[in-house]
Amino acid sequence: MDEEYDCIVLGTGLKECIISGMLSVSGKKVLHMDRNKYYGGESASITPLEDLFTKFGLPPPDESYGRTRDWNVDLIPKFLMANGQLVKLLIHTGVTRYLEFKSVEGSYVYKGTKIAKVPADEKEALTSDLMGMFEKRRFKNFLMFAQDYKDEDPSSWKGMPGFDPKNTTMSAVFAHFNLDKNTIDFTGHALALHRDDTYLSKPAGDSLKRIKLYSDSLARYGKSPYLYPLYGLGELPQGFARLSAIYGGTYMLDKPIDEIVFEGGKVIGVKSGEEIAKCKQVYCDPSYVQDKVKKIIIPQKQVNRNSDIYVSLVSYTHQVAAKGWFIAIVSTTVETDKPEAEIKAGLDLLGPIKQKFVTLSDIYKPDTDGTENNLFISESYDATSHFETTCLDVLSIYRRGTGDDFDFSKVTHNLGEEEV
Amino acid sequence: MASVKVPEQKVILCGEYGVGKTSLFRRFATNTFVTSTDRKSTLGLDHYEKVYMTDEHQGVKLQLWDTGGMERVASITSSYYKFAEAAILVFSLDSPDSFNILSQHLLDIVTYAENAKIFLCGNKYDLKNQIHVTDADMETFCEQCHNLISGTYKTSCKTGQGVEEMFIDISKQLGEANRSRKELDSLNKNSFKITPPEGEPEDSCIC
Ligand SMILES: Nc1nc2c(ncn2[C@@H]2O[C@H](COP(=O)(O)OP(=O)(O)OP(=O)(O)O)[C@@H](O)[C@H]2O)c(=O)[nH]1
Ligand SMILES: [Mg+2]
Repeated sequence: MDEEYDCIVLGTGLKECIISGMLSVSGKKVLHMDRNKYYGGESASITPLEDLFTKFGLPPPDESYGRTRDWNVDLIPKFLMANGQLVKLLIHTGVTRYLEFKSVEGSYVYKGTKIAKVPADEKEALTSDLMGMFEKRRFKNFLMFAQDYKDEDPSSWKGMPGFDPKNTTMSAVFAHFNLDKNTIDFTGHALALHRDDTYLSKPAGDSLKRIKLYSDSLARYGKSPYLYPLYGLGELPQGFARLSAIYGGTYMLDKPIDEIVFEGGKVIGVKSGEEIAKCKQVYCDPSYVQDKVKKIIIPQKQVNRNSDIYVSLVSYTHQVAAKGWFIAIVSTTVETDKPEAEIKAGLDLLGPIKQKFVTLSDIYKPDTDGTENNLFISESYDATSHFETTCLDVLSIYRRGTGDDFDFSKVTHNLGEEEV
Repeated sequence: MASVKVPEQKVILCGEYGVGKTSLFRRFATNTFVTSTDRKSTLGLDHYEKVYMTDEHQGVKLQLWDTGGMERVASITSSYYKFAEAAILVFSLDSPDSFNILSQHLLDIVTYAENAKIFLCGNKYDLKNQIHVTDADMETFCEQCHNLISGTYKTSCKTGQGVEEMFIDISKQLGEANRSRKELDSLNKNSFKITPPEGEPEDSCIC
C-alpha cells in the first residue's frame, strides 16, 4: 500500500462503496480499506449466524436455528423505494446486475394505539375503512394534487390556489383539501414516511414529493413500494465495491487504520501500522474520525412519543434466514433513557421471540464539508426506512469532493453484452 | 446464431492471481490473448454471455464472470458466488502453489454457491517444460474432494488449446443436468432484476 492514490476510502458501508465506485468509474485511482474483515460496516448483513451472536456477546446459537450460514442479518432496518434514488443509482451504474430483488409484501405503521396497514395500492387506500365516503373523495383529490406536484412548475400547483412552494406548509395543504386528523396521520406517516409530526409546519414540497415517490414506487412492481435484495442489504455495498474494483479500485480488508495524516491542514495520506498510503483526498464514515464529527442529540420526551416505531420482517424467502424463521427489526428514534421500553408496542406485535438483539446507534454528522481539508465524511445512517437520504448524502459528498455531478455516461456497463 | 431463448447459466472463475482467469475470460469473450497484465484492457468488463448449442435444438447460454482482480488483496465479495451454476477452479500448471491453495477456493464455492457444479482447469499448458502439476496430482485432488469435481481440463490461453473444448463440455454438462433446484426455484420465483422503467431516457440524470 506504499503507493500514491488520488483517493482513499475508509469503511465499506454502503455510502463509502457507492462513492468508491463513482470515483473509480470517473478515472480516479482509489484505495478502499476497512478495519473489518468483511464488507459493509454498519450496512453489512452478518453471516454466519455465529458471528451475529458473537457480535452481541452471546454464546453460539443452538441447533434449532438450522444452518447458520443460511442467515444474513442486517444491522440497519431499511428497504429500497422501487422508484427511489438508490434504484436509479443501481440501474445507472449497472450494479443491478449483481443483485436480485423481491417486492416486500406489505408494511404497517403503528401510531398512537393503532396499527395501520400501508395500503398496497390506490384501490386499497380508497377502500380501507380508515375513511368515510366523503373523506375518500377529498383524499383522492389530494392524491391527484400530490401526484402532479413539481417544485418548479406553477401550473402543477393549480389544485390549490395561492400555493407557494417556499411558504405553504403541509398542514395548510391538508386544510385546503379538508382532510381529517386520521387521514392526515395516515398520509404523513404511512405514505410520506415521516417519523414524527414536525413536517406539518414545514413547506409542503418535501412531503408532496415523498407521497409521489411512494405512489410511483407502488406503480413499479405492485404490492408494496419497497424492494429488498435477496441475501440481505449487505449485498448492496458489495455490488458497488465490485463496480469500483472492475474500474481499477484496490481493496484491502482487515486493515487497522491508525491515523489520517494531515499536512498544512490538508489530508496527505492514511497510516496503517508502519505503512503510509499517500493520497489527495480521504472519504470515510464517522467511525474513522471520531474527533471530527458531532453527535446529534434528540431532545428527550417524557409523555407522548414523537417518533414512530417501525417494524420490518424478512424471512428465508429473502434468503436471510433458515427455513421457518423470521427476522424482525423493531426500530425507532430513541426519546427516553429506556429505549427498549419505547419499542414495546412494536415487539408486542410479533409472535414468540427466540432471541432479541438490542442495539443503540448514535447519529453523527461531520463538522466540516471537506472542501477545506480534503477529508469527506459521510453522515450516519438515519432512521428513515429507506435509502433516499443515503443517496442524497452520497451525491453531495461526490459533488464536494470532485466539484462535479457524477457523469453516468462514464459507466460502460453494457460492454459485456453489446460492444465487444 | 439461433435465436432460441435460453436462460443464462452463471459460471464463475476462481483461483489465485496470475493463473490466467482474465486470460480465459478474454479467450471466451473475444478469443484473444495478451501477454502483459495490462489491467486497463479489461476495465469495466466482468461478465460475458455466449450461447453454446448442445444439439440442434438446445442451447445453453454461458455467462462467464471474472473476479475483476479483487482477489489480489481482499476477499472477493460473496455476491460473486451467488446464483452461480458452475465454478471453474483455475490454477497454473507451472505453479504448485496455485494448485495447492485450491482447496480454500473450493471451500468458498461450496459455502457461497452450494449448488454450483465445479470444474478444474490447469492453465498455461503451453509451458511444456515447466509443468509441475501432474495428471496424477489432479486426480488425487478430485478424489480428495469426494468427486465434487465434474470435469478436469488442461488449457492454454496463449495458444487457445483446450479452451473452447472446455467451455463446450461445461455447457453440455450444465444443459444435461436438469438440476434438482426446484425448491430454490420456487423460492426465487418472484424475485427479479430491476430494470429502467419504460420510456425513461437511459441517461436521465438523477441529481
Ligand atoms: N504462457 C502462458 N501465459 C499465460 C496463459 N494464460 C495467462 N497467461 C499469462 O499469465 C499472466 C496472468 O494472467 P491473467 O489472466 O491476468 O491472470 P488472472 O488470474 O486474471 O490474474 P489476476 O486478475 O491478477 O488475479 C498474464 O501475463 C498472462 O499473459 C497461458 O495459457 N500461457
Ligand atoms: Mg484477472
